[in-house]
Amino acid sequence: MCGSGEPRWGRGPCSPSPMLFLSLLLSTAPFVLLGEKTRQVSLEVIPGWLGSHQNLLHIRAVGTNSTLHYVWSSLGPPAVLLVATNTPHSSLSVNWSRLLSPEPDGGLVVLPKNSIQFSSALIFTRLLEFDSTNLSDVAAKLPGKPYPPYSLAEFSWNNISDSLDPATLSATFRGHPMSDPTKAFVNGSLAFRVQAFSGSGRPVQPPRLLHTADTCQLEMALVGASPRGNRSLFGLEVATLSEGPDCPSVLEKHSIDDEYAPAVFQLDQLLWGSLPSGFMQWRPVAFSQKQGGRESALSCQASPLHPTLSYPLPQSPIVRAFFGPQNFCAFNLTFGVSTGPGYWDQHYLSWSMLLGVGSPPVDALSPLVLGIMAVALGTPGLMLLGGGLILLLRHKQSSEYQPIN
Amino acid sequence: MEEEDEEARSLLAGGSEDAGRGPPATPAAPRILSAVCDPSRLAHRLLVLSLMCFLGFGSYFCYDNPAALQTQIQRDMQVNTTKFMFLYAWYSWPNVVLCFFGGFLIDRVFGIRWGTIIFSCFVCIGQVIFALGGIFNAFWLMEFGRFIFGTGGESLAVAQNTYAVSWFKGKELNLVFGLQLSMARIGSTVNMNLMGWLYSQMEASLGAAGPMTLGVTLMIGGITCILSLICALALAYLDQRAERILHKEQGQTGEVIKLTDVKDFSLPLWLIFIICVCYYVAVFPFIGLGKVFFMEKFKFSSQAASAINSVVYVISAPLSPVFGLLVDKTGKNIIWVLCAVATTLVSHMMLAFTLWNPWIAMCLLGISYSLVACALWPMVAYVVPEHQLGTAYGFMQSIQNLGLAIISIVAGLILDTRGYLFLGVFFIACVSMSLLFVVLLYLVNRARGGSLNYSAKQREEIKLSHTE
Repeated sequence: MCGSGEPRWGRGPCSPSPMLFLSLLLSTAPFVLLGEKTRQVSLEVIPGWLGSHQNLLHIRAVGTNSTLHYVWSSLGPPAVLLVATNTPHSSLSVNWSRLLSPEPDGGLVVLPKNSIQFSSALIFTRLLEFDSTNLSDVAAKLPGKPYPPYSLAEFSWNNISDSLDPATLSATFRGHPMSDPTKAFVNGSLAFRVQAFSGSGRPVQPPRLLHTADTCQLEMALVGASPRGNRSLFGLEVATLSEGPDCPSVLEKHSIDDEYAPAVFQLDQLLWGSLPSGFMQWRPVAFSQKQGGRESALSCQASPLHPTLSYPLPQSPIVRAFFGPQNFCAFNLTFGVSTGPGYWDQHYLSWSMLLGVGSPPVDALSPLVLGIMAVALGTPGLMLLGGGLILLLRHKQSSEYQPIN
Repeated sequence: MEEEDEEARSLLAGGSEDAGRGPPATPAAPRILSAVCDPSRLAHRLLVLSLMCFLGFGSYFCYDNPAALQTQIQRDMQVNTTKFMFLYAWYSWPNVVLCFFGGFLIDRVFGIRWGTIIFSCFVCIGQVIFALGGIFNAFWLMEFGRFIFGTGGESLAVAQNTYAVSWFKGKELNLVFGLQLSMARIGSTVNMNLMGWLYSQMEASLGAAGPMTLGVTLMIGGITCILSLICALALAYLDQRAERILHKEQGQTGEVIKLTDVKDFSLPLWLIFIICVCYYVAVFPFIGLGKVFFMEKFKFSSQAASAINSVVYVISAPLSPVFGLLVDKTGKNIIWVLCAVATTLVSHMMLAFTLWNPWIAMCLLGISYSLVACALWPMVAYVVPEHQLGTAYGFMQSIQNLGLAIISIVAGLILDTRGYLFLGVFFIACVSMSLLFVVLLYLVNRARGGSLNYSAKQREEIKLSHTE
C-alpha cells in the first residue's frame, strides 16, 4: 500500500487514500457474509503419518455459505492457521510426506483454492521469563532481567487425541521441554486449550470474552513449573505473518464496561488487514489462581509488533506449508508486575484470547444493567411527573372556590 | 484552610506552654497570655476551640485509613474487596447501637470530661490494634481494631459537640460547629494524601512491602489519635478549671433518648430517614473504594487518585458554612435536597458511564454532598417536637450506620464479582431511590400542608404569629 521504494521492514507512516478504502470495501463485500449466527463445528485430529501422533487438529466450522478452518498443531512451535472460505464445501488436504519434509511448502492446502477469502496464522514461539526484582534496562522496556527463554519448538507435547472433547468442542495441547536440565518442569506443564463455538456466548471463567460462531478461543495455562527466581514474571512470544512492509498493530480499546472482567476497562485487538478480516482479541488480564477472581488478576502488557529479523524464529511447518516462505512479525505478552499478585503465589498462570474472522465481537451493556437503569431513572421521573400533575389539578380545583372572607 | 490550621496550631502551642508553667513567663506579652488564661475571655475560648478541633482530628484521620491504603491492604493482607470493606462495616456495626447511648453515657455515666477521655482512648486503642493486625499479619485483628475504633469514633463526635455547646452556646456556636466540621474534613483529606506517601517511605526504610510495612505505617498514623487524646486530657483540665473559676456547669448533651418515641414518628420523618440512608450509602462506600477506582478506570497515579478521592471533603470544608447560610436565608429545604440529590445522581452517572475527566463529577459530588448535609439534617427539627429531637437524630444516625455497614459489604461483593460499572449502577439505583423519596416527601408535605418547604420568610411569619 505504501510506496514500493520503501524498505520491506519500513515502519514509516502509511496513509491509504479514501478511494483505496472504498475499492477494498467493494472488493471484499461478499466477505461480510461470513458473519453467521451459528455454525456446524467439527473437531478432527488428522491421523499422522505411519501411525505416529503428530498433533494436527482441524476445526471445521461450516455455515450456510461459508466455512472456517482452524488448523492447530504442535509440529514445531504451537501454531494455528485460520482460513475463511466462501463455500460450505471447502476442505483441508494434508500431504504428510511433504509436511514433514524440510521443505514443507504445499503440504497443507484448503480446497478449492479460489474460495479462500482470508487466511492468517499465529505462532507461539517462546515462553519468556524475567527476574522482576532486577530491573536491569529501563530503556529496553523489559519487565526485568530476562532469563534464557524456553523455545516452544523444543517442547514435547501430549497426544492431542486424548484430550479431544467433542461435547465442549475443545482439545488441549500439554507440553514440557524435551530437555529440562534445571528440572523446572518436573511437576509442571504449559497447556494450550483450544475451544471452538457453534454459536455466540460467554464462558463462565474470567475474563469472559464474548465469542461467536466465527471465533475460536485459546486458553494458555502455565501450571506447576518452578520459576527460576523468587519473583519471576512470565511472558509469551507470539508471531504472525507480516503483511506488506508494516507489521499489524495492537489496538487498545477503552470502554466503560467491566461487568464481565471486573476492573478491566480495556480490550486489546490485533487486526489483520485494513478491513477487519481477521483478528486476535484479548483482555489485558491474566490470572494467578484457577478461580480467576479479581484478587488474582495480573495486568498483561503487550509490546508493539516488531519484525523478527534479530534472531531466527523457529519454523512452523504448518504455516510454511500453507503460506510458503514468509516474513514474520512478533510481539511479547508479559503477565504481571513485580508488586501485586504473580505466578509465585500458586505457581499458576492463565490467560485467554480469541481468534476469529470478520469483525471482532463487541460488548454491549448487559440487559440487567439496562433494566436497573430504566427502573432507577424512570421511577422518580414518573413520580415527579404524576405528582406534579395531581398537585396542579388539585390546585386548580381549590382555586375555583373563593374564600368567604 | 492551611492558615486556619496554622493558627490553631500556634494557639495550641501557646496553650500547652501556659498550662505547663502557670504564671506567664514571657513579660513581653503579659496581656495576651493573661487573656489566654482567663476562661471568660475570647482568647481562652479560642484556645479551647483549637483543642476541640484537634480532638476530632485523629478519629477522622484514621477513619479513612483503609481507603487511602486500599491497594496496599488488599495486596499485603491478601484479601479481596469484600473482605476489605469489612473494615468499614466493622466501624459502623457498634454505632448502630451506640448512636442511642453515646449521649446517655456522656450525661449519666461518665460525664463529658471522662467520656471524652474514654472515647479517645477507645479510638487510640482501636487504631493500635488495627496496626498490630498488620504487623502480625492477622486480618481478623485488623477487623477487631476497627470495631474498637468504631466504638469510640462516633461517640467522640457527640462529646465534641457537647463541649462546643457548653463553651460557646449563645456566642459563636454555629461558627464553631462549622469549624469543627471543616477540621474533620481536613483530617480526612490529609489522610488521603499522606498515607500512601508514608507507606512508600516505610517501604523504602524497611526494605520491602508487606504486612509489617502496613502495620508500621498505620501505627504512625495512630500518632494523630494520641494527639487527640492529649487534646481530650487538656480539655478536661481546662473545663474543670473553668468550672472552678466561673462556676460553669459541666456540659450535658441534654439528649433524652426514649425508644418508645419511635412509634410516634411521623411519615415525613421516616421519609427523611430513608432519604438519608439511601443517599449516604452511595457516597461513603464509594469514597472508601474510590482511590482504586480512579487508578483502575481512569489510569490515575496513586497520588492523583488520592487527591481526587479527597476532593469531596476538600470542597465540603469551605462550602458547608456557605450552604448552611444559604439554606437558612432561603428556606425551601426540600427543593434544595431535591437539587442536591439530583446533582449527585448526575455525577454518579458521569463516573459510571463516561470516561470524561472525573474531576468534574467529583466536584459536583462534593458540592451536592455539602448541600445535602446542610439542607437535609435541619429538616428533622421541623417535623419532630423538641423533646423527641434527640431520639430522632439518634435513630437517623443509627440507621445510617446500619445502612453503611450493610452496603459497604454489598459494594465490595458487587465489585469483586461484577465490576465497577455494575457498582456504579448500584450506587445510581441507591441515589435514585433517595430521589424518589425526596419527591414523595415533597408530595406528602404538600398534601399535608407541612412546614418543610416553607421559605425563610414564611418561617419568620409563623414564628411571629406563635409568639404573639
